[in-house]
Amino acid sequence: MTRYGWLLDAKRCIECRACESACKQWNQVETGVNVRFRRVQTLESGTHAAPTAVALSLTCNHCIDATCIKVCPVKAIKRRADGLVIIDQDLCVGCRLCEKFCPYGAPQFNEAVRKMRKCTGCFDRVDAGLAPACATLCPTGALRWEPWEDIQNRGTDRVAGFSNPALTKPAIRFLSTTWERK
Amino acid sequence: MALSRRSLLQLAGAGTWAGADRLLGAFGDMFRPASPLGAATQVITACGVCSPACGIKATVENNALRFVEGLAGDFSGRGHLCGKGAAGAGFLYDPDRLKYPLKRTNPRKGIDEDPGWVRISWQEALDTIAERFGDALKRFGTESLLFITLPSPDVWLRFMNAIGVVNRIDHIDECFLTDRIIQRYTTGFKSWCNDFENSKYIVLFGWDILAKAKLVYANGIIDAKENGAKVVCFNPVYSPTARFADEWYSIRPGTDLAVALAMIHVLLAENLYNKEFVDQYTNFGEHENAIRTHFAQYTPEWAERESDVPAEAIRRIARELGTRGPAIVPAHKKTLCANYQNASQLVHAISILNILAGTIDRPGGRYVARTPAVPSIDAIVPPPPYPPKQGRRVDGKDKLPLVLQDGGGMFSTMADGILNRYPGMIKAGFIMNYTALSFPQPQQTLDALATIPFLAVMDYLPTDTVTYADIALPGTTYFEVSDIMARDYYAKQPQFVARTAVVPPLFESRSPGYVALELGKRLAPDYFKNPDGSWINLNAVLDERTKRLGLGENFAEFRAKGIVTREQAFVPRTTFNVPGTTKCQILVPQFKDAGGDPLPVWRPKRELPSAAYPYYYLTYIPAVHKRNSTQNNPILNEMLGTTVASLNPQLAAKLGIKEGQRVRIRSRAGEIELPAHLTETVRPDCVLVPHGFGHRSRLLQTAGGKGVRDSDVIPSQSIQQCVDSVNFAGASCIMDAVVNIEPL
Repeated sequence: MTRYGWLLDAKRCIECRACESACKQWNQVETGVNVRFRRVQTLESGTHAAPTAVALSLTCNHCIDATCIKVCPVKAIKRRADGLVIIDQDLCVGCRLCEKFCPYGAPQFNEAVRKMRKCTGCFDRVDAGLAPACATLCPTGALRWEPWEDIQNRGTDRVAGFSNPALTKPAIRFLSTTWERK
Repeated sequence: MALSRRSLLQLAGAGTWAGADRLLGAFGDMFRPASPLGAATQVITACGVCSPACGIKATVENNALRFVEGLAGDFSGRGHLCGKGAAGAGFLYDPDRLKYPLKRTNPRKGIDEDPGWVRISWQEALDTIAERFGDALKRFGTESLLFITLPSPDVWLRFMNAIGVVNRIDHIDECFLTDRIIQRYTTGFKSWCNDFENSKYIVLFGWDILAKAKLVYANGIIDAKENGAKVVCFNPVYSPTARFADEWYSIRPGTDLAVALAMIHVLLAENLYNKEFVDQYTNFGEHENAIRTHFAQYTPEWAERESDVPAEAIRRIARELGTRGPAIVPAHKKTLCANYQNASQLVHAISILNILAGTIDRPGGRYVARTPAVPSIDAIVPPPPYPPKQGRRVDGKDKLPLVLQDGGGMFSTMADGILNRYPGMIKAGFIMNYTALSFPQPQQTLDALATIPFLAVMDYLPTDTVTYADIALPGTTYFEVSDIMARDYYAKQPQFVARTAVVPPLFESRSPGYVALELGKRLAPDYFKNPDGSWINLNAVLDERTKRLGLGENFAEFRAKGIVTREQAFVPRTTFNVPGTTKCQILVPQFKDAGGDPLPVWRPKRELPSAAYPYYYLTYIPAVHKRNSTQNNPILNEMLGTTVASLNPQLAAKLGIKEGQRVRIRSRAGEIELPAHLTETVRPDCVLVPHGFGHRSRLLQTAGGKGVRDSDVIPSQSIQQCVDSVNFAGASCIMDAVVNIEPL
């Protein structure tokens, strides 16, 4: 099966958060308990004289060497043949170990049901031949979902503020975060 | 003091609002917006969050909306939606929605007064409103009625015209009327269309075009970047737009006008304007000496002193604008109209820059929408002659003759009119889909509304304004109504999208058209009849409108297509619809006749930093919200649910303020208290607060009690202040406040 990954072209992000809304509505993610599979985070640096800011739309990176799978004591976290990492809600006991070990904060604890929730990669859409909801709705092409084989050597494997990819081999690549100046 | 979430819950638990709770309680289990693949059907409709109305492909199953995504081929969204549009199910299935008509039983009005709502029938609600409005009309005349509503759908306008309403107020004056008036007299049209993708040079005065997340503009700017255009941005905030700019200047608030005037100075002094366009299509030749003499005073060196933008940068940017075109200097709503007292002059200067660039209705410039006129209800069923509009304007708009020609009424002067100029004049009011948060000094606005003996409010949510209503009517969302949307933001050729009711109206919600028709039947029946004497049927009007536009035999046929685009070549205009001429006007004699400036004159913003109020107060609308209408959406509220005051760390250090510490921001109008957030993106002499928060209605369980009202520190104005300050196109001065900041 084809493995896919995220391709982030952050310079095109306008922080509209269509990706976040798309995720919420497709995956029926509960509101009001601060569980948001995908989050757009803006990283600022520099001074007012020369500031920079980069908006990164991040979620589970369905790591090729996923720590969460290794640490889960009840084997609730599984990898599909296409590489998507899924938490089986029937098996999860809410011990939060995966949350502690994930370098990207992907698994989130839902207080109401006392289970871990995270990006599913919209596996039901993927099985139907569609891209995940977030990448489908992104209006500017800042967030894309592409065959890993095509993108694994594009851009870079990390940007400032992103955890060391050597740890878990996240399936995400970053294009240049700034526009060329004219 | 702002209510905390906890106190809201306690109140609900204590049963203070029990009557309302029962009626308005949870239908949380309806909020299941996700889409099962398979059995569902797909319906084309149009978004209703903001005016480009992006096309939507909606997945519907068992009369429930499951998923929304963009519509391929649509000019506005280009097959996509923004975060607000994608969160649409959160509006339709908001658990706090008004569900039934309600009648107030507690005569005392206040934001903390329980209205004592009692459920009534639509019949009783409409009969009561008609009786109270009819009574006011008979005893006090048309001037005693106040409508705070858009003139749409057009059956509303017909209703208001039929009873002779003079006091209709909407946000058009607040947001873009200044621009519309200046455009009319300079280029002959007000347009939302900017041909970014063919532009090579884009100058943005303050307009945070990308962070507004209007996709039609965002994608236009991204196209321009990819096509090699240069983007220059002036903004006291390093905004998301600034990141897309090749050059960003942290301009002093309210001085964009100085930079624009100096750019005109350079273009004229160095003869870098588009001579062919200017000679052929403008009145430059007629007034050349006056124009050149006028702008000679506005040197880049002078502008640098006002704006902090280096003179050599202004000079170079002006030269580039004149030589690296096609160039465009777009303008939009809050940038120009709402911000500063000198907005009339700034819009005029910006219009002149576009004229000198020679791109008016040319590729790479602002162009007239090629949108065919949609036949109005009055064209389809001609009404009897309307009565003359008689009576006093509560907002005093008659003092600004140019402003009186267009738009509704003014938000910024309304409270002064109700409370001070004409106390007691307004006897009955109807508010539709506006809350007091839109107004400067919202508490003053609510106090003014409380003086109106009878107030009806229609909305889909129980807003703060609903709290002051005598009758509350449950309105529909855009997912529950049908209409024809003609594209007017990207409109090089005509395109129409069907807005389709994807689900039946929930509970007893009704559309504004229904209410207009029903009130019309009761108050002005002659205007709501067909020639054969039967009542007007709005579905029949929509069918006829569809037919006249050639979109189908009836609306159902058009709906089945969903989207219709007409191929048409873009032919640039050679004549312009400017009043009294066919040319664009640089010097506008009509402005002088109306007490304004025939050429833009440097005027400072209304309030400048002083010892008492040393800092500029800026507001903005976050990308995930639209004005003050989206904060209760559970999806959007989770992304951004409250307010912080953004300050530069340098200023924070000077004032002894740490990240997260509460601060008090005080202007001559009022004060707010909120946590500080330190960021290098804001100029050290400014504080930045988001608009749209601080809803107080206790029935808004998601947004109520969260955050502060940015407008509590924004002074309202009187009409005389507008006249005295040569604010001749009626800017509402939203960003004109200066403030004191202290740590708590």
